[in-house]
Amino acid sequence: MECVVGLNVIGSKEKVRNCIDACGTPLLTSSVTSTVDITMMIPLLILTLVSLLCSSLAFDLKGRVVWNEICPGIGDLGQAKVVLDNGNLYGSVTRNGQFVIPEVPSGTYILSVVAHDHAFERLRIDVLDTDTLPEVRPYVPGTPLSPPSPVTLPYPITLIPRARYDYYTPQESFNLVGMFQNPMMLLMLGTGVLMLAMPYIMKNMDPEVLQEFKERQAKITDIQSSIQNGDLKTGLSAMMGGEEKTSPAPAPKPQASAARNRGKNKRR
Amino acid sequence: MLTIVRFLWANWHKALLGVPLTRPDFHRTTGAHGATRSVVLTATSNNVIGAVHPENGTVAWRYLFEDRDPVVGYKAYNDRLATLSGPGGATFRILDVNSGHLLHELHLHSADSGRLFEPVNLGVAIAFDDSDKSKDTFVLTNGHTLRRINGKSGDIVWGWTSPDQTSLVVYSKVVTTSDAIYLIGLAKSFASYTVHVSAISPDNGELLSDADVPSSIINGPQGLIVVSHEGTRGKSVRLAWLEQARIHSVALTPQLKDKPTIKKGSAYLQVHDIGLQEKGLFVATKEDGSGRVIRFSEDGALKVFWEFADSVKSPKYTESTYAGGLDKDGWPYIARVYWSHVFRQASAHVLAPHLAEGKGLVTGFTFPFETQKHGIIANVAVDAANPEEFRVLSRLVLTTTTGAVQLWQQDQHQWTREESLADIRVAEMVELPEPQLVASQVGIEETESFGARLRRQLADAQDFPQYAINFAKRFATGSYASASSSIAPASNDTSPLSRDTFGFRKIIVAATSHGKVFGIDSANGEIIWSRVFGLGWAAEVGGRIFPLKIFTTRTVSDGDTPQVVIVGQRKADNSLVDTVAFHIDALTGEDVSGTSIGQDILQGQDVIAGALVEAYLFQDGPTKYVVLLDEYLQVHLFPDTPENADSFHKVAPSIHLPLRTGTAGSHRLGGHKVSPEKEFTGRHIAYPIWTASLPPNEDVRSIVTRPHEPVASLGKVLGNRTTLYKYLNPGVVVVLTSTSTPSGPATSCGVYVIDGTKGTILYHANLPAAGGVCDVKAAFTENWLVYHYYDDGSANADQAKSYRMVSLEFYEGSGVDDKTSSSDLSAYSNDTTRISVYEQSYVFPRGISTITTTSTKFGITVKDILVAGNNHQVQSFPRRFLDPRRPNRKPTAEEQEEWLIQYDPLLPDDPKRVLSHRYQVARIRKIITSPALLESTSLVFGYGVDLFFTRVAPSKTFDVLNENFNKAQLVLTVAGLALAIVITKPMVRRKRLRERWYAS
Repeated sequence: MECVVGLNVIGSKEKVRNCIDACGTPLLTSSVTSTVDITMMIPLLILTLVSLLCSSLAFDLKGRVVWNEICPGIGDLGQAKVVLDNGNLYGSVTRNGQFVIPEVPSGTYILSVVAHDHAFERLRIDVLDTDTLPEVRPYVPGTPLSPPSPVTLPYPITLIPRARYDYYTPQESFNLVGMFQNPMMLLMLGTGVLMLAMPYIMKNMDPEVLQEFKERQAKITDIQSSIQNGDLKTGLSAMMGGEEKTSPAPAPKPQASAARNRGKNKRR
Repeated sequence: MLTIVRFLWANWHKALLGVPLTRPDFHRTTGAHGATRSVVLTATSNNVIGAVHPENGTVAWRYLFEDRDPVVGYKAYNDRLATLSGPGGATFRILDVNSGHLLHELHLHSADSGRLFEPVNLGVAIAFDDSDKSKDTFVLTNGHTLRRINGKSGDIVWGWTSPDQTSLVVYSKVVTTSDAIYLIGLAKSFASYTVHVSAISPDNGELLSDADVPSSIINGPQGLIVVSHEGTRGKSVRLAWLEQARIHSVALTPQLKDKPTIKKGSAYLQVHDIGLQEKGLFVATKEDGSGRVIRFSEDGALKVFWEFADSVKSPKYTESTYAGGLDKDGWPYIARVYWSHVFRQASAHVLAPHLAEGKGLVTGFTFPFETQKHGIIANVAVDAANPEEFRVLSRLVLTTTTGAVQLWQQDQHQWTREESLADIRVAEMVELPEPQLVASQVGIEETESFGARLRRQLADAQDFPQYAINFAKRFATGSYASASSSIAPASNDTSPLSRDTFGFRKIIVAATSHGKVFGIDSANGEIIWSRVFGLGWAAEVGGRIFPLKIFTTRTVSDGDTPQVVIVGQRKADNSLVDTVAFHIDALTGEDVSGTSIGQDILQGQDVIAGALVEAYLFQDGPTKYVVLLDEYLQVHLFPDTPENADSFHKVAPSIHLPLRTGTAGSHRLGGHKVSPEKEFTGRHIAYPIWTASLPPNEDVRSIVTRPHEPVASLGKVLGNRTTLYKYLNPGVVVVLTSTSTPSGPATSCGVYVIDGTKGTILYHANLPAAGGVCDVKAAFTENWLVYHYYDDGSANADQAKSYRMVSLEFYEGSGVDDKTSSSDLSAYSNDTTRISVYEQSYVFPRGISTITTTSTKFGITVKDILVAGNNHQVQSFPRRFLDPRRPNRKPTAEEQEEWLIQYDPLLPDDPKRVLSHRYQVARIRKIITSPALLESTSLVFGYGVDLFFTRVAPSKTFDVLNENFNKAQLVLTVAGLALAIVITKPMVRRKRLRERWYAS
């Protein structure tokens, strides 16, 4: 790949250094850096010079992993690498968190971190032919690459450990309070209490209300039994028709009053 | 969600390094308080550099290198380890020697510009600057570039490249002194090599001088030895080499003015670098085989310091292996190790040159090395201590030809690491028999008298109270066999191998490419037995056996001990290839065929004199046998008995075989039938009936077949009470292909589903070849195919780049309720191609190295997909998420009834489904699954560099009481209800009584 220097002075210096690093020719260092200082004057000359000198080079993508409380250091992270796309280009994370992905040709890449225990965000990296610094953008997996996200992140790349994978679900152990907090258990207790208290409640209830209550209960048991028998239709009709039956038939009323009278009589 | 917790105790992981490629090194570091720590460093054939604790043989740390970044050199100095990897040493890394943490990584040149040498470590070298505390490193790469790399920042200080790279000088050694850095290489001349030395300034990398040393070396740079000596006038260095059976040497000075001198005296055959060059010591063997220690003495000459007694070549013992080591004060020791054919023991002689007033002291001992179990000693490393005058204690690390690494402290065996397990080729889980019940009284009941019977029954009844107590205890505490309890036997358990209640315990038979087969207990990963493969006739010339297939030819349900057959290819050193079969008892590792004697080397049987094309297991009623096809597609049977031949003759006309044939790069797929009658050669022969109509530049990479598993249901009932019938044509195979331009990288990859009986293509997908490599992984079970690939977005400009997982289901006919009975259809019916395909693609979180499905006893349980990810995890992905029928909208009530969820392109990456949880399961190459006795549970064994075993229950353990089942709660509830009855009973009785009294 070509190593083209743009007009941005700071950027071009960095790029030139990059080229020199990769060329590994110490003799060039002094001459090129001194010429860069006067880049504004004769940029074209240097451009051609540098691109001639290291025309078979590409960009070295640099960045670092920021240690935080989720991942305090390399001992926690383990052997990890930062990969572009499917891992043909990669750099390993060193003890101080830095990484370099060498010789990245221009193009669009998805950067991800391959680590055993930690989750990192994914980034979209555009290494450009024209500009000196690559563009870094956040990337959500599964979304299309174009249009690119309007948010750009600074370069060198900063990667922050987002989460530590939690592989375990805590084992449930037996505790009495927990047992009674269980809704099923609460329901059971409630019915139990109701069952015990029912006779007393019934006793103190208004006999008319009691009668109504008994009727309704009978209806419910009726519906329940029909559902249990798989006879949904009757159950439903019982549910639907229940209201109708009760409202047009005022007949039970005197019965109820009679019952009340009788009950009253009995008590007296 | 609770699956992971429940199976927490049920898994094990074995971290391995791989078989050491070179001699391991003892490396000792001194801590802050003067305490020393030592580790055994090794670079392995699995491309791993690792450190092992010498005390117990556990892995201290390891660093895994990528496959395309092979380690070409490493060197440890003080607390750091420098490595060079990639072609020509493209990448330089510095690791912390105690923790394995990466300190610096530096890319030196692109992989394309790397020069490939043979051997790979030629042209690369590492030297540390020991003149000051700068920790700088001098690195030679590509055979002609030297760089000084700053120890603190990891940056290049200077670089020097040989001005004439086109010349034939290839440097291979770097030696540092405070005055100059010497690069020593060989220049090719007409019939031999000439030594070429360059001296370079350590400060600025300028060439000080350059000289050809008059010499003629025949056998390459291995014979070059640089000895140095730290004298009063600084470090003096001398280069020695063997030329015409004489040791020549020349002093290295910055001006390179010295003329070579020839050492007079004996003729030598070989010089050995024993790692003590910096101490001025090396070993040379004379023409009669005796080994001599040669020392670079104070006065600058090479002198014979010692000759090992009885080291002359002899039929009584093997050739000696020499190794050097340092004690904690830095004194050198030299060990000579050999195997005595007479005493059947290994011997070691350790020379301490500084003892006995500088005359040298030899300590000897023999140790019982098991050559039947571990093969031949390949390499030796030595570490010694000198606790008192005239006493030397030594530790030896041995590596063997079968890939074992052992540590011996004098004659005491300390530990063995079976590193060949990092190179398992084939493995199979074999069921264990039930525990043997004591049935001594059976059969004598009719004959015994009344008195005897009474006595016996009384004796039996004595145990009754104990039994009753146990029963009550068990009832109250509920300690039943549970699905998660450990099935590992107690360490002192000597009872024969038997399975546990749920069949979780199996024996894993694993064959490695280092000529060894292991029986591994799946409960805890212990090696129960191991056997070394015999080479047959090739034992005389040497060779290797590469296991290709493993078959269980007899299982426990057949009524006897289980047996396995391992089919392997033997490559003899004279380039002859044979196919060999080993027939083993899976419980003990004994040879079933009876040709091997006792626990001696396991002898196989030559089945085919030539290469193997394919092997299958055939089952005819209770008998199972292996059918092998040779290059001429002739059928061979193993075991070759008349019954098996008859059985095969009967089924031969109905056999259809899709085969992958051809040479590398142009493999074709063809369907074959087997001739119903034997040919004149006395064998059945397979003949082609169809060839897949693939383009000529499409290479068949692999064929994925369906595992032989029971299918519980033939259809799938949908929410609207219609049925989709599964397409279960038994002949269907999945074919993975790659299309490439001639001798270029792959341009696209293909996935085909082909009816193997007549070659009809049922499904075809073209996938992008990311980076010119086809890396499609597929799993196929029942009517469900899942494949994984990387989509580089090249097909569509705005499409995302990501790993994809595609899930496919095949159903009979054109839609619902269209049944064609595909599993029983004739191969020639037109209905076999009438299918409907459901397909859905998902974005997968990461790259994978292998994919498989779970398997259970009856196939009722839902199948999960198991993958080994590139982040060293084994993870399961539930079928529910991969269902190709997930709707693209909110599911309707009918779809909800089927448990379908709305389609989401992203597959959730749930860490709770990581089966290997915190274990770093490195580079799993293959995962095999096997059913347990419990229908809900599948056993999972993954192997690659590491071994990993676990159990999974994709539908939860529905057939066993839940681990979280609260027995206490049940008991409490029952007790509470009983109490309530006790309390309410009198109340009710009183109430009834009152009601009677006051009734009207």
